[in-house]
Amino acid sequence: MLVTEMEPSEAGIDSLLRRSMAAPLPSLPSDFHQRLMREVRRGSQPLDRYRRILFTGYGLTSALVSAVIMRGQGLDWGAIAVMILGPVALAAAAPWARRATRTTMRHSAK
Amino acid sequence: MENDSQLVARAQSGDQQAFAELVNRYSALVFRLAVSILGREFIPEAEDVAQEVFLKVHYALESFRGEAEFSSWIYRIAFNQAVNLKARVRFRSPHADDTVLDWAVSLEPGPHRQAETAQRDQALAGCIQTLPEVYQSALRLYYWLGAGMDEVAALLGVPENTAKSYLHRARQLLHGMLKEKGYACD
Repeated sequence: MLVTEMEPSEAGIDSLLRRSMAAPLPSLPSDFHQRLMREVRRGSQPLDRYRRILFTGYGLTSALVSAVIMRGQGLDWGAIAVMILGPVALAAAAPWARRATRTTMRHSAK
Repeated sequence: MENDSQLVARAQSGDQQAFAELVNRYSALVFRLAVSILGREFIPEAEDVAQEVFLKVHYALESFRGEAEFSSWIYRIAFNQAVNLKARVRFRSPHADDTVLDWAVSLEPGPHRQAETAQRDQALAGCIQTLPEVYQSALRLYYWLGAGMDEVAALLGVPENTAKSYLHRARQLLHGMLKEKGYACD
């Protein structure tokens, strides 16, 4: 808003604010970008690797235990394979399905 | 030049270069918004806020569906982050920057006048602290950081007319408060 558009009482406080709030302009340090990207990498990479190892270990162990138990119950290997690999295929397809849905939503929004 | 949605889509698929470009594009603005909320006594904290915001954005980028503009989303995160931090640091002694002190001392010539001005400025600063966060932020963006009304509106996520009315209302309130304390504004 320009000073000319203000009520007289506002013009006074406007010039007071201009004078009283004038101060050196702050800026981000020049290495902010590098430091941030280093943090981002540090935050994401080891965690991803750790998660991947954890999930793989968990997946293999549970698949093995399930297979042994199901085989003990007298199921044939075909049925056991379907029951173990089916959910794995679904889990693997989930990110792809989510991306496809997002792209469709974006296109329909346009 | 790629637009935000294209960069966001690339960053969502794990492209660090795209994320770095988003940081380049928004870091100064996020920092300005944080500074406008925290005030000039807490500039190092505003820097921390800017870093936290981008780490949060990086973490949550996967869940960003593009229903709102990326800029509005990041400004909203920055606003909340800065307001939360402000609530925590409110009672801590601020960083008194030497340049700010030098500037305050060098403004007025006579010691008496200087003391009077300093007193009024202090009263004004106290009054500003009692205003709602959005008014304080709008005032600092406009009067200190030299932001135009379009930038104030964008950073606060409101239409330009609303940003104008924030400033108008803030000035009215400050005028009343200073008058009550016995200071003239003219």
